[in-house]
Amino acid sequence: MVVLWQSDKFNLQIKMMGKTIIQGLITIALFFLTWFALTQIDWITVFRVQKATEKTEEKLGNLFWNIFQKTEKENKSQFVVSSVDSIVTKICNANNIDRKFIKVHILDKEEVNAFALPNGHLVVYSGLIKNSDNPEEFSGVICHEIAHIQLNHVMKKLVKEIGLSVLISMTTSKGGSETIREAAKMLSSSAFDRNLEKEADIKAVDYLVKAKINPEPFANFLFKLSAGDNEATKYLTWISTHPDSRERAEYIIEYSKDKKTKFEAVMTIDTWDKLKEKL
Amino acid sequence: MINITKFSYEPGEHEAEKASNSYLMSLIALIAGLPLPIINLIATLIFYLGNRKGTYFVRWHCTQALLSQLSMLFINSFGFWWTLSILFTEEITTSKYIAYIIAAIVFNLAEFIATIYTAIQTRKGIHVEWWFYGNLTNLICKSK
Repeated sequence: MVVLWQSDKFNLQIKMMGKTIIQGLITIALFFLTWFALTQIDWITVFRVQKATEKTEEKLGNLFWNIFQKTEKENKSQFVVSSVDSIVTKICNANNIDRKFIKVHILDKEEVNAFALPNGHLVVYSGLIKNSDNPEEFSGVICHEIAHIQLNHVMKKLVKEIGLSVLISMTTSKGGSETIREAAKMLSSSAFDRNLEKEADIKAVDYLVKAKINPEPFANFLFKLSAGDNEATKYLTWISTHPDSRERAEYIIEYSKDKKTKFEAVMTIDTWDKLKEKL
Repeated sequence: MINITKFSYEPGEHEAEKASNSYLMSLIALIAGLPLPIINLIATLIFYLGNRKGTYFVRWHCTQALLSQLSMLFINSFGFWWTLSILFTEEITTSKYIAYIIAAIVFNLAEFIATIYTAIQTRKGIHVEWWFYGNLTNLICKSK
């Protein structure tokens, strides 16, 4: 009798355990179902997250550009600006990129450098143009920077390096000017992480090919500067901040191998020479 | 979801107060430590440990309060770290994230209301068993 009573108790226990497990599973499923059902709504649009993000980016872009504008000399020569603009326009048109979004600024500086700021600001140092042997080399670097802009690398890097909360506080009146200066310096003189750089390189080749610009000179540019046989070696900001130039040149050549197309000249040799002269 | 049943014995006034306090403890800790989901679990755990030698009614309700906190800890911790990764890494705000936060808020709110209701009922000496947690407590907490 006692044995029977104990087995009854055991059966009841098992039954209760089963019931508890089922209830537990239902509770978990209920949570995931609620989550899944809620994901069907486009909350980003509902809460206008995109708009708020764009506004933050716009403010940050202006803040950073103001710093460079104040401390560096901008080249506003009609000829220089329109020549560089023509290259950027050609690349943008061929790749369906909103040309108005890309704001090109040329600064008179010997450093071989170009970099992207938030909100489509593309800063080019005159040293980069001077040290490019042909417009194709220069176009390659421009495409690389446009790729960073289009792939949203600039904001990703900023958020990673200084955090979203600091970025938002920068856009309010309380934002510390020292932090803004530091962030601007970081954007102009440090590379993105390896994967983002490679992504931008590959995208740049796509842009070049679509714009019928030969990507080979872009790879040559990297080879040349990594070899250090250029007089601009001492000003190589763009190269020194972008590691493994040789490796980059190699995978650019590898990637562009099967992209044989009829390439066109970006601009005439005369215009290019005149552009370099004007700087 | 909430089931009022008869307890194996009629709890005394002192027991009802202690049992009710276990739910209040988690409520206070929830308000105080809102950004850190672990805090309310720790508070409930301390209360549980302090009362594990108490009467069956007190122990039973302390266990139910603790168990309910434990599952909220998983939901809240995940949301907490996801939020931190958005604020400090390259992770971005997505509809998936907002949906998760809303789901977490709904579940927290349901738990919050259930806790208040149970705290009031147990104070009156009424035995309240929650869906799933009640059964789980019955399996874990035994009368000596």
